[in-house]
Amino acid sequence: MANFNIDADKDLTYDAIVIGSGISGGWAAKELCEAGLKTLVLERGRIVEHVVDYPTMTYDPWEVELRGSLTPEQKARHPQGGRSGFIGSMNEHFHANDVENPYTEVKPFLWVRAHQMGGRSLLWGKQTYRWSDLDFEANAKDGHGIDWPIRYTDIEPWYSYVEKFAGISGEALGLPQLPDSHFLPPMELNCVEKHVKERIEKEFKGRNMIIGRVAHLTQPHNGRGQCQSRNRCDRGCPYGAYFSSNAVTLPAANATGNLTIRPFSIVQSVVYDEQKGKASGVRIIDAETGEDIVYKAKVIFVNASTLSTTQILMNSTSNRFENGLGNDSGELGHNLMDHTYRIGAMGTVEGFEDQYYKGRRPNGIYIPRYVNLKDGPQSDKLVRGYGFQGGGGRSGWGAGSNQEGFGGDFKDGLMKPGSWEFFITGFAECLPYHHNQVSLNKDVLDKWGQPTLSIDAEWGANELELNKQIKIDAKEMLDRAGLKDVMDFDNKHEMGYGIHEMGTARMGKDPKTSVLNANNQVHGCENVFVTDGACMTSSSCVNPSLTYMALTARAASHAISELKKQNL
Amino acid sequence: MNRRDALRKSALAFGAAAGVPTLLSLLQSCSKTDRLTWTPTFLNEDQAVFMSSFVEFLLPRTDTPGGLDVKSDIFIDLMYAKTYDEAGQKNVVAEIEKFNADCKSNYGSVFAELSEEDKAACFKAHEASSPKFPKNVWGTAVGPSEPVGFYRGLKSTVLWSYFSSEEIGKNVLSYDPIPGPYQGCVPLSEVGKTWSL
Repeated sequence: MANFNIDADKDLTYDAIVIGSGISGGWAAKELCEAGLKTLVLERGRIVEHVVDYPTMTYDPWEVELRGSLTPEQKARHPQGGRSGFIGSMNEHFHANDVENPYTEVKPFLWVRAHQMGGRSLLWGKQTYRWSDLDFEANAKDGHGIDWPIRYTDIEPWYSYVEKFAGISGEALGLPQLPDSHFLPPMELNCVEKHVKERIEKEFKGRNMIIGRVAHLTQPHNGRGQCQSRNRCDRGCPYGAYFSSNAVTLPAANATGNLTIRPFSIVQSVVYDEQKGKASGVRIIDAETGEDIVYKAKVIFVNASTLSTTQILMNSTSNRFENGLGNDSGELGHNLMDHTYRIGAMGTVEGFEDQYYKGRRPNGIYIPRYVNLKDGPQSDKLVRGYGFQGGGGRSGWGAGSNQEGFGGDFKDGLMKPGSWEFFITGFAECLPYHHNQVSLNKDVLDKWGQPTLSIDAEWGANELELNKQIKIDAKEMLDRAGLKDVMDFDNKHEMGYGIHEMGTARMGKDPKTSVLNANNQVHGCENVFVTDGACMTSSSCVNPSLTYMALTARAASHAISELKKQNL
Repeated sequence: MNRRDALRKSALAFGAAAGVPTLLSLLQSCSKTDRLTWTPTFLNEDQAVFMSSFVEFLLPRTDTPGGLDVKSDIFIDLMYAKTYDEAGQKNVVAEIEKFNADCKSNYGSVFAELSEEDKAACFKAHEASSPKFPKNVWGTAVGPSEPVGFYRGLKSTVLWSYFSSEEIGKNVLSYDPIPGPYQGCVPLSEVGKTWSL
């Protein structure tokens, strides 16, 4: 992909502009380029070329001086993002600098950001599940939030479309609340997971424990290699075995000859043309030179990630849109959602001492939602539901820290695998509350003088009730599955830890209560599309990235067709 | 480990090199860390002697390398130098001084100069009084936790520095940098030792 980083400034006019190159931006770029549109992708950070720019991808711990630890200087760049616990020296270069990109926590909120080509598609968890009408009908049925303008039938073909290209592994089960994808072969459960699965499914009618459905290739696919079970995904995968923009969508976009990607582009605003009644382009600041540049295009996709997209729209003011582009409803920046996280249980599984496994599987188990199903019993304490992720494995030498021993026998004992441990941790749906919001903060500016975000959001009563039930259910499942020393836990994380922020420019049927229409077009400015997590009208309890992919491909198809009809 | 075990282990480790070992040579080998043989980056000489003796006592050489063989003490000094901020560095120094002061008042001298029995008694006392690490999920602690204190924190750091070293990670544990497709059920006998990665 040698022609990626070209001098884009020679040409200021394109057919389409995509802001952001993460999971949804990459899809937008691919679809628009493949339709023949000259497309400019504006990326806030640097170019990260697949494989070439994965400097740590093969390092063993002893091959780097500090074996993965951060220096105080590195830590100082991540005073907020560092709380995630995910940043080490092997991936620090893929995490945004909090000091240059500050945000204000009115209430505690973890905002994990990745400012480079590919964005968080380089760092995500790869769990990929379809949503169902249990999700798309939820708001309409229980009255929280507003109704989605689409249903499962609207998105179903687009799920198929993106899955076939991305490559999703998993097992088909025919569960109505978790529709099957087009699957590559599933990854394997280990001995203990198979045992626990059998026990849980026997003890609890209607519950399933399955291998995680993931965007990892279990066989070669479209020229990409299969997963080698190194579990070093967050450094970039040399095989291109997991879905990232860098390995999958951007190379496809580039292959058309229609892609231009411009790095170091701090998007200031979307420019609105008052005469024409639509957007005319995007104003950026060159992050290196400070130069102010306006790029023009017929159609603009804003895919900067949920909160950054919202920030850009809020900063895009005009006579027509005094309070931010598309904000006639006053809902822009509101209804921020995430998934609750790190509530669950863990325990020890006896036996299986002569069994082990081979490989570091970047995946675990999944227990799909089983409460408040369409045709099942309804709780009177809580609405919506939750699913569980988790997994089992044998403890290693790390267990020695808590053991009383020392000396030669102790040391050599740690060279044999220890007990089998198994855990599950819940992910609960979060309701859309108007008061959970972000706002532009003009008192705190980023390195480029732009206003930043203040985030003011917290869990509501229903989320806390769901968490309570998660904890009870988790312990009950592990107890009845026969595990020993079962311990339940609730880390009481603030919002943001799920890294599933959603909802601050929601889709809806009515422009008075939503920011986007059923095709992800901004109400009142139909040549601007938002297809990242900002567009979500509810949060489901299911991981959202696959839905972003499908919505993006769907919206891009609509944009292309409208352009052909000269409606945009 | 009692003194006899310590002697037996030492014999296993050093017997071949020493020919017919004498009691005196064994005792010397047990206390070989009380003199500094490396130049620390951060610690002073006394603190470095402490570190080497702690590593040696926790992870002595057996038929597999010991902590000193893989330079765990030197690596920990480097970690203090390069990954601790100033407050963290000050704290480590204070904790080492306190550890040694406790050894002096309870057993008569700093840790490195204690007999094997007294070192064992010292470790056992710290084991009994040190809180344990909480469980973790995906690298984040879950469940109730309290600070583990210097002793258990250092024990954990020594284990990490030992097992993440090239010699142990590549040549002693089961090492497989590119495992290929995940196999969920494999007889332990086919793997042997714990996976290093």
